[in-house]
Amino acid sequence: MSPSESSPPPVDEGRALHERLVAGDPTAPADLANTFLDRLANWLILHNPGVDPHICNTAAEDAILALIRNPASYRPEKQSLEVYLRMSASGDLKNLLRSERRHVSRRMSWEVVELSPAAGNCLWDEDSDPARIVARADDEKRPPLPSGLQETLTREESQVLELMLEGERRTEVYAAVLGLTNRPILEQRLEVKRVKDRLKKRLERAGGRRE
Amino acid sequence: MSERLVALARRVRNDPFFLASVLHEYARSEGLEEADLAAMLACPVEMLATLSLCRRPRPEPPLFRHDVELIATRFGVRAEVLASIVRHVDALTSMRRDAAVERGFLMAARDDDEPAESEERS
Repeated sequence: MSPSESSPPPVDEGRALHERLVAGDPTAPADLANTFLDRLANWLILHNPGVDPHICNTAAEDAILALIRNPASYRPEKQSLEVYLRMSASGDLKNLLRSERRHVSRRMSWEVVELSPAAGNCLWDEDSDPARIVARADDEKRPPLPSGLQETLTREESQVLELMLEGERRTEVYAAVLGLTNRPILEQRLEVKRVKDRLKKRLERAGGRRE
Repeated sequence: MSERLVALARRVRNDPFFLASVLHEYARSEGLEEADLAAMLACPVEMLATLSLCRRPRPEPPLFRHDVELIATRFGVRAEVLASIVRHVDALTSMRRDAAVERGFLMAARDDDEPAESEERS
């Protein structure tokens, strides 16, 4: 079983790691990388087929390093550490692909006199551009929210919807966002389900798709 | 040991935030291979990457000792060796900084000694 398929680290473990980072524990950066780097990179690779895995690795590294340097950027009351790292790494991946695209287009402007598109250089094929592959995949996965819906959502609902669209399944992650972690597990499940169902209905009524 | 962890440790070896920078600089200055360094610290070579991803111990005396002991206990390395490695690299860095400042002074002094073009003509 690959690390991305193995069971996720418990929410409490992520929270404890974050507390150690904030407290300046010198071993916390190593433990953070040890716990999350492989999972994060595998998750990026899985969700971005067609993107060079090395770029996914770099994006995962970037997200881990950014959190190590600025642990305050993560707010545990909003989401689990893993969800935060996934969002951060996805952003880093897009930035990397954007700069790769800029680099390629600059190189193209110099090489245009030497290279012929007919020679089969994939740089001329916009559909093969990794940044466009990610953008297309995102578009396919995530149609835009129906207009006006976003404005009617509370901050927590907005985060829950974001997690649903990310494909997050774990109750504890939603419970953390909704501030329910002190309640009994059964109660957490029921409340999380209630909020998700309500959001799905609102999404449907507003003309969007279900999760 | 994950290859990605090794790559990350390599990536941060010039970043003074991480212990990687200390271990890398020490090994370079002493001409040591990874295996030599691991033997000095009494840990397996595979552990060096994870160890490298620790934060460099804070320099203030009580924090320095606390951080070194924390790292040593967590990874089972020899605390006194780790402390001496960090101090060794600190000394090297300080000497380099002093030398750079001195070079700066010398260059400034030499500039002062050289007559300006207008002075030469007059």
